[in-house]
Amino acid sequence: MATATMARKTVRINGCVAAAQAAKYADVDVITAYPIRPYTATMMALAQMVANGELDAEYIVADSEHSQLSIAHGASSSGARVFTGSSGVGVQFGYELYSPISGSRMPVQMMIADRTLDPPGDFGSEHTDALSTRDMGWLMGWSCDAQEAFDNHLLAYRIGEDARVLLPQMVCQDGFFVSHITTDVALPDSGQVKEFLPPYKHPYPLDPRHPVSHGPQIMPEQGPPLQLERARAMEGATTVIEEAHDDFARIFGRRYDPWIEEFMTDGAEVVFFMQGGHAVTARHAIRHLRERGAKVGLVRLRTIRPYPTDRVMDSLSRFKAVGVVETNMGLGSVSSGGSLYAEACAALYESDTRPLVLSFMAGMGGEAIVLKEFYWMTNKLLEAQKRGKIEKRTHWVGFEE
Amino acid sequence: MPSTCAGCGPSIQYRMTSKASGDNTILVGPTGCMYVANSSYLCTPYNVPWAHTQIGSAGSFTAGVAAAYEAMIRKGKWKGAFPNIICEAGDGSASDIGLGSISGALYRDHDCLIICYDNEQYANTGIQASSRTPYGGMTTFSPPGPMVPEAKKLFPKELARMMAAGHPHCYVATATVGYPIDLMNKVRKGLNHKGAAFLMIYTPCQKGFVYETPRSIDLGRLVVECGLYPIWEWNPQTREYDYSFRPQHMRPVSEYLKLQGRFGHLHADHIATLQKFANAQWRMMDVEVPEALVRATNPETIADMASAEAAAAVAHTV
Repeated sequence: MATATMARKTVRINGCVAAAQAAKYADVDVITAYPIRPYTATMMALAQMVANGELDAEYIVADSEHSQLSIAHGASSSGARVFTGSSGVGVQFGYELYSPISGSRMPVQMMIADRTLDPPGDFGSEHTDALSTRDMGWLMGWSCDAQEAFDNHLLAYRIGEDARVLLPQMVCQDGFFVSHITTDVALPDSGQVKEFLPPYKHPYPLDPRHPVSHGPQIMPEQGPPLQLERARAMEGATTVIEEAHDDFARIFGRRYDPWIEEFMTDGAEVVFFMQGGHAVTARHAIRHLRERGAKVGLVRLRTIRPYPTDRVMDSLSRFKAVGVVETNMGLGSVSSGGSLYAEACAALYESDTRPLVLSFMAGMGGEAIVLKEFYWMTNKLLEAQKRGKIEKRTHWVGFEE
Repeated sequence: MPSTCAGCGPSIQYRMTSKASGDNTILVGPTGCMYVANSSYLCTPYNVPWAHTQIGSAGSFTAGVAAAYEAMIRKGKWKGAFPNIICEAGDGSASDIGLGSISGALYRDHDCLIICYDNEQYANTGIQASSRTPYGGMTTFSPPGPMVPEAKKLFPKELARMMAAGHPHCYVATATVGYPIDLMNKVRKGLNHKGAAFLMIYTPCQKGFVYETPRSIDLGRLVVECGLYPIWEWNPQTREYDYSFRPQHMRPVSEYLKLQGRFGHLHADHIATLQKFANAQWRMMDVEVPEALVRATNPETIADMASAEAAAAVAHTV
């Protein structure tokens, strides 16, 4: 392939700048910004690119996240490729728009650098901000480093804008652990991006030459078919997601399993099940533990919407005990811990070989999950495996012996 | 199929606006009567592109449409003349929940026209008070009772003046359905103005104001003649108000109030309060207030609304 011979360059950037670079490579038309840490750095980078003439886009400093999302909705409805983003309470200030944007089938792209909600309102990463929108019809997944963030942004445009899908995308990364940690990122040749990502073309934009009405009032009996259509778009995205990842691997030379990453799961009896940047620490912990003979591995969820139910079931059913590392709040939820537990258990329900499942509340308030804590959690998993029974569903890591 | 009430002021305004803007137009409809009553799935009344948006997204969604066309035309992704982009926001959207979004769009000067069709209440949800509901106006959120005999105690937000004062680079004007040519001229002016424009248009609501259906246009004139809805233009070049519009007559406010059930509960001193408000509006426009209107601020010269024959008939229907 011609593209394989083209020169690439490697730059040292953080997750925020990687997201901005992806938006530039995608040649976005409209960008809407509103400041909130830590994702702001993405918009700062894009503002400079526009100021330097490296990217030709309308750069709009919105008056709130609600306006950011509404501007993005209006621009996407008119046929423009749109990029926006937010963090923490900002994600929630725009909440009203998530359903209208997916309901009108506008493939707006939103970058999330996670931040705790208020309280505690610190700058650290908790996934609750984006996860609270998980059922609003947006494609959603977490990256664990800057390279993957860059790649996921391009993948998400390709998937969301596909005429078989037409859904908005939330491309998430942990605040600070990914957004502000600088690593090597391979940037592609623009020809590769051109081959991978066709121009955005919505079938029914707001165009005076072909008048259409978007979002008219409906009668209750007209509601179910529209909701079913949106649900089918989400389910149908599965094939498109797999195709896109195959093409991505062919054109850019980096292959990702779109749904889950398994790390050192061969021969593992207990595994961590988690998403996002803490998986990088988990890999280190697992290497150390393996050297000491503990049969532990990692299953990292890469895409949470659409949820890869069968893949999660098939993967997790192979182990004796699963430790869900939450990094999110599900107050009063089924495990009284986080929300990942409930979905993992639901995915396992039809399995003949259900593992024991524990929920670990770790990384809360944006704290790093350190190696020692992964060792502690591994012990809990191994104890449960030995006992053949869990001690309790949810452990708050760092608050117990 | 449009299913607005007979005599609906907002839809009369909508027709005039669309006539003035022509085919190369995109309409944005935040939630409100002109969304709920006009649009219905599978039988839209619009022959130009139209999109619903959230009630708080009037300015922001519209800004997105304008920004998209700026970028797409500049980058050669769309070929054609820049469209007329018009947002039709009710006064609940424009003066309350979407105020910030409209201010943002005007401030950033997107090339669009934002219209507040002002029926002085949330009508679609069943007549609730907005920031534009006049003093003395009865709504389901501002009913009269022994503790609040005047019903709405607050005076309306000076929405259009806020927009002119805060965004002096924009074309801003007021209009009513009582003067169709003036209204359509202002739509054209707003669209021809390169950048953002804002129009606040008085559009009576039969259901909420409670009046005889054929009198919508009359009310559109009376509200101006009684000094309760000053008609003006803000000139962004000279940065001055133009108060040259003059109604044919000047009348006491009671002539406007007595046609509407929503004012049927007012006592003489409430009417006098409204007359003082109207006189102040005239003076703000440098109009000399005739002696008769000064006298009309004395409650002793005024009868309670409930005893006014015309009002009594409609008041009973509320």
